[in-house]
Amino acid sequence: MRNKKILIIVSGIVLLVSIGFYMLPWFSGKVWIDPPETLVTIPEALETPDGAKKPKICGEKAHIWSGKSEIDGVEIRESLRCEPDNPWGVASFVKGTNNVSMMTLMKTRLASDAVIKKNDRDGDGDPDYIHITLEVSELNGSSPDGEKYLPTYDIAPGVRPGIWAFTPKTRGMAAINLFSYEAIRDLRPPSPAIRVEQGDTVIITLENTHYLPHTIHLHGVDHPYITRDGEGNDGVPITDEHPVLPGDSKSYALKPRQTGTMFYHCHVQTDKHLMMGLQGMFIVEENRPNNWVQTLNVGAGFVRHPSVAISESYDHEYDLHYQGIDKELNSIIQTVNDPRLIAQKMNREYDMTESTMDYFLLNGRSFPYTLKESIIVVKPDDTVKLRIANGQDEVVSLHTHGHKATITHYDGVEAPDGARITRDVYSLSSAQRLDLSLSATDDGLHSYGPGVWLFHNHAEKGISTDGRNPGGDISMIVYQSFLQENGFPKLQGVDINRFLDPRFYQGTLPIWEQSKAPQLLGQAGSVTPELLKVIIAGLILGLLIGLILWLFMLLSGSGKEANS
Amino acid sequence: MSRFVKFSILLSLGIVFPSLAQELDSAIVVPYEGESKVKVRHQMDMQGMIMNENKETLPDGCREISEDVSFTVHAGRKYAEKFNGKMFAYDQQEWAVKPCSRITIKFVNDDHIRHQFMIHGLPEYLYPPTGMFHIELTGPGSKTATFIVSDEPKTFLVHCELAQHMEYGMKAQMKVGEGDGDLPSVPGLTKVERPDQYSVEWDIASIVGLLIATLVGIFMIVSIGVVCKKRE
Repeated sequence: MRNKKILIIVSGIVLLVSIGFYMLPWFSGKVWIDPPETLVTIPEALETPDGAKKPKICGEKAHIWSGKSEIDGVEIRESLRCEPDNPWGVASFVKGTNNVSMMTLMKTRLASDAVIKKNDRDGDGDPDYIHITLEVSELNGSSPDGEKYLPTYDIAPGVRPGIWAFTPKTRGMAAINLFSYEAIRDLRPPSPAIRVEQGDTVIITLENTHYLPHTIHLHGVDHPYITRDGEGNDGVPITDEHPVLPGDSKSYALKPRQTGTMFYHCHVQTDKHLMMGLQGMFIVEENRPNNWVQTLNVGAGFVRHPSVAISESYDHEYDLHYQGIDKELNSIIQTVNDPRLIAQKMNREYDMTESTMDYFLLNGRSFPYTLKESIIVVKPDDTVKLRIANGQDEVVSLHTHGHKATITHYDGVEAPDGARITRDVYSLSSAQRLDLSLSATDDGLHSYGPGVWLFHNHAEKGISTDGRNPGGDISMIVYQSFLQENGFPKLQGVDINRFLDPRFYQGTLPIWEQSKAPQLLGQAGSVTPELLKVIIAGLILGLLIGLILWLFMLLSGSGKEANS
Repeated sequence: MSRFVKFSILLSLGIVFPSLAQELDSAIVVPYEGESKVKVRHQMDMQGMIMNENKETLPDGCREISEDVSFTVHAGRKYAEKFNGKMFAYDQQEWAVKPCSRITIKFVNDDHIRHQFMIHGLPEYLYPPTGMFHIELTGPGSKTATFIVSDEPKTFLVHCELAQHMEYGMKAQMKVGEGDGDLPSVPGLTKVERPDQYSVEWDIASIVGLLIATLVGIFMIVSIGVVCKKRE
């Protein structure tokens, strides 16, 4: 009798659950006739409470640093973009922080021993002893004082992955001031492009200011395996040296005999440390008389003081450094503070073979911030030298709209005339470099004429930020006639300011809302559940609870019977 | 203009003869970063820099220097060895001084990288523009500088402002008078606000403790049952 009751109750419960499953609206509802209206959301980031538009991606006027100038006798080229490099910083890198005036140095955040230049050994009017000091900086790292990342560095609006970079030796605070966590300009990815002259005696001192061991490996740059005093010089812990511990320093020495676009990176736990951002370009320029090269190009990009040889053959020069970020790897430094736990999570729990890239950077930023710094500005008939490095874990298939450029060098080695290929997709495997000659001659081959022409990685994920497009490494070749006074391209497409809303890259803003027909392709509204169904569902729920209680009573009653 | 010339000469001397510049006590006045309108007293050479040294000027509220104190402060990785999970530290984490003290800090860097002794929250009119006193060493070595605190009891943050150095242990506090509380996450001294989580390993004592406590619990319930039955 009792078992029969239990059986009936259990079948009742099963029946009710199945009916309830169909009756409850759960999280989505089917609409048979009249789909819901379009919801129009106004991006909050663009509107202040009084309805005024917030500042756009660039200021109204040209940046005070963008003009052509001469600082301490160093000619600094005009930089037509809305965030140009600090001209005093450029002058300090060209002359050496030991040779510029103190007033110049004070307009930078560089330490007085960041770049030492002296000894014109061959008497050709430029220094031949170059001593560069690099520190290791962590950006967007965790804090034991709460849920904040510091010092902050935004690769795109609201996107702050943890990043490491070799940085020039600076002085003072890592933040721009006491009231901000924002990192100073010199602390940023990619690690600065290093430029030296062929035959220079170059000393690179790594001062490990970071909490994990690191080294510097000079990839493709002519350097001895060990120095004269028997010290390891290749930066590889499993062959020539112990990694540089936190608080220690080590100097690497070289006298490069060959020119070209090379690379440098940390070789400790390389799969992780390189991907965390400890990688930069290393460029050896031809030895020419009176050739003061810009030893560091912070954040890569436009070279404001190109070498003698480059100035002879090209109108302008750019360093383009592509990087990828796996947020699973880069967020490790944001989740814990103890370096032992970071080492454990990064080197034993994180599996590089399962990595997938989420963010794609050109010169340390993703679209739309690439447009502030990393546009290529040309005039008709200009010839521009592009030095490109791929620091990603995947192939970069760089595509230039409106232009077919010619590959002149592979991995820093000049290609013979017959092997110079002119094309519009340039493939770079991991760690490879290409030198391109980009001509703005409107002949239907090299250029299709003035305009604002995109250049981007055509491996499609490269143009997304955490899967949202437009993002990633998208940037533009902008003809000067298409440039506004403030250094931002004249665009006639959709409002770029939309992509300044952090919600866009979180995936909560619809893509075409600000198109000309927002009601057609905006956010589809949701449906409210039918009242009758909800009442029936509630009734079922009540019955279910009742039945379950009854079941329990029966079962416990059986216990009592058994006891008595 | 003459001030600028003087400054340039002093600092170019400082670059050629760093030891000489270290001896130069005169306040060198330059605009900081070219951004701030307020003049910062700033000495810089190849060994590092001192910002806002103040040996004489009394803060409002102080009639005289209450006491002259001097501390030697070491900075380096080796001082973090006693704090598990930290990488850089000072040799001490706390100092106490009287209100209106004149404090001379000999800052010693035992590492081969840059470190700082930076203190915030001092009177802005004496330590412009943000109330900061700062000694920085570009590498191993030492620098000595002096500052005067005001009469109000306050706890000052002392830290190294290189990226992540404070977060990795180079943090301390200086209490003037009674101070006004403790700062969080001073190594070995105060709690962090965002603790890390570590794996839990059960030792014999914990396992035995759990078993005994469980048995006691069962015994208690059974005895209650027996007592109730007896009453019936």
